[in-house]
Amino acid sequence: MSELKFKRFTLNQRIQHIIFFMSFILLAYTGFPLKFPDEWWSRWMIASVGGFDNRTLIHHISGFAMIGISIYHVVFHAILEKPRYDILFNLKDVQDFWQQMLYFLKISNDHPKFGRYTWKQKFEYFGGGFGAVIMGFTGILMLNPFESMKYFPLGLIQIAGLFHTWEAVLASIAVFIGHFYDEHFGKFPNLSWLTGNVSEEEMEHEHQLEYEASIDDYNAKNVIKKTGDNATKSHYDVRNRLIIVFSKTVFTVIFLIVCIWMLWISYHTLLEAVETYIL
Amino acid sequence: MKMSTGTTKKIKTIRKMTIVALFMFVVINSVTIVTSLKNDTVEKDISCYHCHSTEVEQFQNSVHYTNISCVDCHGGDKAVNGTLVSADVMSRNFTGIPSRVDVTKLCAKCHNKTVELYEESVHWNKLMSGRESAPSCLDCHGTHNILSHTDPVSTTYVSKIPQLCAGCHENQTKMQAWYYGIATDRFDTYKRSYHYKASILGGGKAKSLATCNDCHENHNTKNQTDPTSAIYPANLVKTCEKEGCHSGQNVQIYGGKVHEGQSVYLLSTSVDLKRIVTYFYIVMILFELSFTFGLIFLGIYSQMDIRKRE
Repeated sequence: MSELKFKRFTLNQRIQHIIFFMSFILLAYTGFPLKFPDEWWSRWMIASVGGFDNRTLIHHISGFAMIGISIYHVVFHAILEKPRYDILFNLKDVQDFWQQMLYFLKISNDHPKFGRYTWKQKFEYFGGGFGAVIMGFTGILMLNPFESMKYFPLGLIQIAGLFHTWEAVLASIAVFIGHFYDEHFGKFPNLSWLTGNVSEEEMEHEHQLEYEASIDDYNAKNVIKKTGDNATKSHYDVRNRLIIVFSKTVFTVIFLIVCIWMLWISYHTLLEAVETYIL
Repeated sequence: MKMSTGTTKKIKTIRKMTIVALFMFVVINSVTIVTSLKNDTVEKDISCYHCHSTEVEQFQNSVHYTNISCVDCHGGDKAVNGTLVSADVMSRNFTGIPSRVDVTKLCAKCHNKTVELYEESVHWNKLMSGRESAPSCLDCHGTHNILSHTDPVSTTYVSKIPQLCAGCHENQTKMQAWYYGIATDRFDTYKRSYHYKASILGGGKAKSLATCNDCHENHNTKNQTDPTSAIYPANLVKTCEKEGCHSGQNVQIYGGKVHEGQSVYLLSTSVDLKRIVTYFYIVMILFELSFTFGLIFLGIYSQMDIRKRE
């Protein structure tokens, strides 16, 4: 097995991601109980953070953290650094999507070759980005309703509440189910969010065009060469495998619970939406 | 006179037995007399409790037990019927069950200020104009089992108020359009408000739980079209800013429709904004669910060798 690794995420990006996902999880954890206050799990979740007032404080602080890191992200990557345009959608993404669908349905044998960001990753990125913007704006509007009511009518603030709650459901489905499955469940353990590195196999498999471009230049910036270490570490191997198996089980269980929770929330949200505003 | 030991023993035994017999005689007779006395009382028990035991038991648990008696509402002679265990209970003039209009006069004997407020209300107004289903004092407070509103078991305890009002105001038959035209979704829309959610989850500031009566007033509740009503649009600000609520926060709720379900129209058109947002998100959430799960299942399916790839 090759010892080449590729640097996919800089330290800056990794720290941003950690701050973002920590605030996202805290926001969802302290947000959904408020939407379904009559449920047993709501009361449990609120008690677990030390009561309702703590919940509110955590929610507001995490909200500001998410707004802050989002602003930093845009300012840094679009203004301070040289902006990269490979994150934007282009025609190739549409072609890749189509080709991937044909591959999935076994109509074609050719899997599309991706560059640095696949169409799905771009979709997640912009989905999350717009989500954060919507949540941030509507959250701030509802933070102090009386202040907001000096500038906007009450009806608008109620609509902000609708956007906030429904966008939360949307974003949570996308992250807790979609993102977790794509990037973490299938390739457990995926440590690229911690180390920033991806293996050569993964580069070849998932970002083939980028791989081909960098491997031609052995001294390319994103290639990390690691000398092969042939010392036998068999007992570490076994231990590592056990840790991985154990972690994978725990992760799977949590993932399943969260999926079921998300499905319950989606169903009841849709039901309430239809009952209240359509019927 | 000297007796033989055998005779002494016998006499001692007889003496002992006589004493025991006398003792038993006294005991048994006392018990008989006492119980027969009680029986006398039970036989002659013609107190209210004897026939109306359910109501009396409720009344004994209520807050009125120590200060008023059956006579104060149901008539009779206080001297004879003034206690629950009265003698000759059937002897005086009872007024029976007071009518719903008369009940207010009875309660006013002690609670006159509250009844004055109540007589300003739309509930009283409807009751006087013959609407039998309109509430009197008893419909909210109970009859014989009235407890203070600070008692968690009371029907008027702060966290039970929404249920209390909803008892009539969610009832489609009672609130029929041709009769009153009152919306029956108020409890549901209230449940979606922060007031309800925060308080039910133990919220600190919302612990005082803004329920129906905090905005709509309880005793002197009035229709929204009544200019003296607490929920008359021009009066809303004062209602929100009342003592213990949002006082001093310069609430600018002018004409705002507070219950969440109400439509919000784009400027002066009839474009219902909430409905549009609802449609948009229903579509988006359904799309997101199908997209996410669709891709997961497609991915799994494509890895399965049901048909070998050529």
